[in-house]
Amino acid sequence: MLIETGDLRMVYQVGATPVHALTGVAITVDHGEFVVITGASGSGKSTLLNLLGCLERPSGGWYRLEGKQVEALDDDQLSRFRNQKIGFVFQTFNLIPQYNVVENVELPLIYRGVEKGARRARSLKILEQVGLGDKIEHRPSELSGGEAQRVAIARALAVEPVLLLADEPTGNLDSRTGTGIMELFSDLNRQGATVILVTHSQEVAGYGRRTIEMRDGRIIHDSATGENQRC
Amino acid sequence: MLNLGDTIAMSVKGLVQHRLRTLLSTLGIIFGVAAVISMMSVGEGARRAAIAQIKLLGTNNIRIRELPLAGKELEKAGPRYGRGLTHDDASLLRQGIPVRSVTFAPLKISAADVRHGGRQGGANVIGTSPEYAAITDFRVAAGRFLSPLDLADNKTVCVLGAEIKEELFGRGDAIDAELRIGDGWYTVVGVMEPKQLYQGKTPILKLRNINRDVYVPINTALWRFPAGRDPFAINEIAIRVADERNILDVVRLAREVLDRQHRGVGDYEIIIPEELLAQARETQRLFNMVIGAIAGISLVVGGIGIMNIMLANVSERTREIGVRRAIGARQKDIMLQFLIETVLVCLAGGVIGILLGFAMGGLISLYAKWETAFSLAGVLAAFGTAAAVGIVFGLFPARRAARLDPVQALRL
Repeated sequence: MLIETGDLRMVYQVGATPVHALTGVAITVDHGEFVVITGASGSGKSTLLNLLGCLERPSGGWYRLEGKQVEALDDDQLSRFRNQKIGFVFQTFNLIPQYNVVENVELPLIYRGVEKGARRARSLKILEQVGLGDKIEHRPSELSGGEAQRVAIARALAVEPVLLLADEPTGNLDSRTGTGIMELFSDLNRQGATVILVTHSQEVAGYGRRTIEMRDGRIIHDSATGENQRC
Repeated sequence: MLNLGDTIAMSVKGLVQHRLRTLLSTLGIIFGVAAVISMMSVGEGARRAAIAQIKLLGTNNIRIRELPLAGKELEKAGPRYGRGLTHDDASLLRQGIPVRSVTFAPLKISAADVRHGGRQGGANVIGTSPEYAAITDFRVAAGRFLSPLDLADNKTVCVLGAEIKEELFGRGDAIDAELRIGDGWYTVVGVMEPKQLYQGKTPILKLRNINRDVYVPINTALWRFPAGRDPFAINEIAIRVADERNILDVVRLAREVLDRQHRGVGDYEIIIPEELLAQARETQRLFNMVIGAIAGISLVVGGIGIMNIMLANVSERTREIGVRRAIGARQKDIMLQFLIETVLVCLAGGVIGILLGFAMGGLISLYAKWETAFSLAGVLAAFGTAAAVGIVFGLFPARRAARLDPVQALRL
């Protein structure tokens, strides 16, 4: 099993009032799955994605990624773990403006300490794969939204992650470009990548092979189990 | 793991993104460093000139100079005293100071024209004794210096300074030539080596151009160049003390002898080059402290300016920091990146400041005709301080960047 969580909880302190973003989530995801998490804003889907991406530690419960106890890792270990296991794709692309396309893709490999020649070669290969082999010297500001998101996906893939996480990857794109991006995710999934994607668009959710619906910090429906956890 | 070269490359990229802002933020450092470098070059130039002048007198030497009295002091001293130094004083000192290895030479300095063939030149005619060459470490280039025999016989011989010889004889041989000094004829017995002179704008001592000296036996000078007020008046007594530990004793004894002879009239002064050297060093030290304080203030102000810019930089790049953290940068990677950015800004400011300081120092010596000299220590200190300012004032922004919560940073 790639992902196993139990009773995962997240509490944020907003001023004096605690906000319960997750109130006990148990989920398992196997290698090669394409999971789409849906729900209204504030339902906790982004928080769950951040936790699964090892960006922060849960307030309670447990999370094992490839058998590793994530909540026990310290900040440096979490950083390295993210670097080795996880690729992130964001709604706003989040490319680094002072770097050109290929430098953006290389960045995670720099943090991994991959030597210059090897990381350049790998980045070029991935850019070719996402269809941007001819734009490697472009700055992010010179790219269209769809191209920028492809670069972001290439960056996520550069480290050969076991888990590809995407938070509303089509949220800033027109529908035609969004379709292209979703087809890219589908392709990657068919080639073996495990994808977990957060969206509130029904159309996007249709690309998933498994959908999880969240409300008020818990899972209310999981198409894999078919069970409704509504209470 | 991330290596240092890649981190530095990252930092450079971060900086060139805002070239103008980066440059403006370094202005404080640039001008601070430039001011220090140029002031230090002026100070260093003055120090070297002072030392060179003092060395010319000889550090193991004591000079006793006449101090002409005027007005009330002269009246008070009466007609018999306050005559300044005389040849007798030199003899009395010689007898009155029983310290071993002390050499004396009287100096009677007159200005006169020297003529040979069709050429002539103005010279300082120095009546002195054979010891003078040893006292000052001046050496002859040709012939010989004055001898005891010249002195005993009141011979009309002379030794020419390098410059005056050049003027009268060119490259030709001057030894045994006959020439006129003032009204009399003299035979050239020697020519001195040329001496390097420092003629900065900030002289500690007024030194005559010794390359225009013409040395004649003291007795001859007293006889041929009467000064009017006293037939035995001389201008200076040069004393060399072989062992510098005896200098102060010799000064004390000399003062006793002269005060007795002059009835306490202060018509002479005793100059101790060693002491002048110490004074010059002390002045230099004070000067350096003042410069150091100015430098410190301007660098702190510059550093705060840079810190301010870096803080703005960090908050502007919050999202970038979030992305870097998400793809695996550790806190220390972020910290190092921003710290190196600040240090690079400061070092760049330091380099520009040093170059600007050189240029300013060059302009000062060009237009103010002051001696300037650049000390490597000053340059290294400026560079080191710039780096230190970068580290100190970069630490806070870098920590703030590193401590950002990745989730928060990405949400913005």
